[in-house]
Amino acid sequence: MELPKRTKRTKRSPIARRQARTAYVFLAPALVFFAIFFYYPIADILNTSMLTGQRTDEFAGFDNYTNAFEDPQARNAFTVTLQFAVATTVGAIVLGMGLAVLINQKLRGSLAFKLALLVPYLTSIAVVGLMWRNILDPELGILNRILSDLGLPTQEWLNTHPVATIVAVTLWMTTGYTMILFLAGLQGIPDVYYEAAKVDGANGWQRFRRITVPLLTPTTLFVSVMAVITGLQAFGQAYIITRGGPGEASDLFVFHVFELAFRARNFGYASALSVLLLLVIVAFTLVQLRIGRDREVQH
Amino acid sequence: MSARPAINGQWMTRRRMLGVAGGAAAALPLAACGSGAPEAESGGGGGGGTFLAYWNNAHEYEAYKDVVAQFEKDHGVTVELQKFQWEDLRTKLVSDFQSGNVPDVVEEPGSWVQEFALSKDALSLQKYLDKDGAKIGFPDDWLEVAVSDNTHEGQVYGIQMHYTCTLLFYNRKMLDDAGIEPPATWDDFLDAARGLTSGDVNGTVLNDGLSYSYPWMLQNGVHEYDADSGELLQPRAAAMEAMQFQRDLVHEHKVSPKPTTSLDVTRAAKFFAAERTAMILTGPWDIPIIKQSNPDLDYGIAPALTGKRQSTIAGGTTLFIPAQAKRPDLSWDFIKRITALKTETAATEESSMLMPRKSWAKEPAVQENPDVKPFTEGLPYAEEFRTGIYTTGKAGELEDIYKTLYESMLIEGAGAEEAFAAYDDAAKNILKG
Repeated sequence: MELPKRTKRTKRSPIARRQARTAYVFLAPALVFFAIFFYYPIADILNTSMLTGQRTDEFAGFDNYTNAFEDPQARNAFTVTLQFAVATTVGAIVLGMGLAVLINQKLRGSLAFKLALLVPYLTSIAVVGLMWRNILDPELGILNRILSDLGLPTQEWLNTHPVATIVAVTLWMTTGYTMILFLAGLQGIPDVYYEAAKVDGANGWQRFRRITVPLLTPTTLFVSVMAVITGLQAFGQAYIITRGGPGEASDLFVFHVFELAFRARNFGYASALSVLLLLVIVAFTLVQLRIGRDREVQH
Repeated sequence: MSARPAINGQWMTRRRMLGVAGGAAAALPLAACGSGAPEAESGGGGGGGTFLAYWNNAHEYEAYKDVVAQFEKDHGVTVELQKFQWEDLRTKLVSDFQSGNVPDVVEEPGSWVQEFALSKDALSLQKYLDKDGAKIGFPDDWLEVAVSDNTHEGQVYGIQMHYTCTLLFYNRKMLDDAGIEPPATWDDFLDAARGLTSGDVNGTVLNDGLSYSYPWMLQNGVHEYDADSGELLQPRAAAMEAMQFQRDLVHEHKVSPKPTTSLDVTRAAKFFAAERTAMILTGPWDIPIIKQSNPDLDYGIAPALTGKRQSTIAGGTTLFIPAQAKRPDLSWDFIKRITALKTETAATEESSMLMPRKSWAKEPAVQENPDVKPFTEGLPYAEEFRTGIYTTGKAGELEDIYKTLYESMLIEGAGAEEAFAAYDDAAKNILKG
């Protein structure tokens, strides 16, 4: 049904105006909170990004932004971060969905399994980072000691494959959470679809591909959007586990910004890079939402 | 021309103004709490409340606790020593400078004072030294380099608290069993490391912190920055040779495991205490770790190696007062007490840490300490590797690309030509910016 076009502003009744005023009064604390803690910092970062580096006392226009596109270290940090975000997003979806499907079989001990997988997510990145840093130390770490005792060659994960290693640690930490999300999605799919598919002779893989995956699209979309956002903003992994190294091999973008701000004290440039990252995250999110909307399946 | 108000000669950002306003507001109740407490010696300080000092987490010695207790009693304040690792301290401090909410005094690792003097974030101590310098023996009783390292444009901004160097620690039994003398030159060191490497025992373990590469550079006559020419890592051939030598210890001769990117700079000491390596290059700060981990370890401390010449890195910590500190007179009194000869000697007895006073070196407690004596003999030829780098205003960024150079060669095994070319590209960008 088409709504009638609004030709002129209708006058609201005194009761409606009073209700609106009351609503604004109740909303005011939240609006003030948002203004102080969300919008002011964003505005301040935008302002700082237009100032010169260390003293931030001279207007630099868009110089910090144009410099970012010519800076090989910033480009490297962005590339590393993109690799990290893509790998953690794909890993989160594949592992989360796979484990959720397994657990959804209602096997014995699934509750304990769920809890065990969720515990790493509840642990802070600082603790997780230090723990894996010690486990993975090439010489002093327990993992190489186990490999050595088993007669297998020892490895230097952090030195030879730093990005892959921090991806693995991140997935170890977050898979429990994504599994729970997929599990909730799975439990929302009516059994009648699977029963009908069985009657039609569909095997397990066909049921998974034709029913489970399409009907989990909203969950997959949510997981992928969240994973991309957190992947692009990842910091603790580089700070605690690899220090961005060796060299610049695992120099995640936010860690690079952190180094620019707090080691080099180049606040103007660091702010500009932060704003650029914000724009990239917004762009990725919009694209994902668009793709998700096109593929959404209703049931 | 900006119309923003200035403080201490620097323009205030909006954030700094808010921070200063917030800090002033926060100071009101503190001042009220302290009413009736004795004033600081020079006035304008004291007055109760909390006296905040940023401190290294490994330096909370009993000797300092005694000084703190007396300071609290004399001034009616509560001293809070907030402890940090250096990296975290830097983050906190830089944030504080931006917000204007700074501590009363800071212990820093020896290269920040001049940088912060240049950026006007550190307070000149000259007026205090003009008044008290003779009484505390400054500068005559301090090693010259400990004074010059804390001086910017003729004014002193920090008082050296510890002053140390790195030397060669060796496992006496391992060397005796192998019939090897403590090495004196690079060639001796390589030969000894080869002879001592077997099974899971490494001849040496290169430490994780990049500053442990500085002695090799100094021994080859290299400094990070030449203020006259504005060039980095000169003479270049010697710099490449020094870095290549360390790289080859790991990748070519395999006498040391690869360093890691960890913040744990005690890793080499742990290998040494566990007798999984025969030789490490480190300073007195690792002695407590070694003794706690393996009290029976029989180790010796040999003079620094000689490359083209004998040298080692001079290092240590400095106390300074942030320019925006609210009670600088009180902070100065705290610095005087912590750096007094009596305090220095007590701290050395407790920790084997080295101090910058000339008279300290003559104290019996120092002369008779077998762990300290080799270092007092090493200090005269110890040098700063990063001399003058602060004048670029880019010390932090330049250290970052040096770290990349170091890790790309020692961890990733890159060749010197390739790694130094990448370093030069990055340096060019930084210095032009």
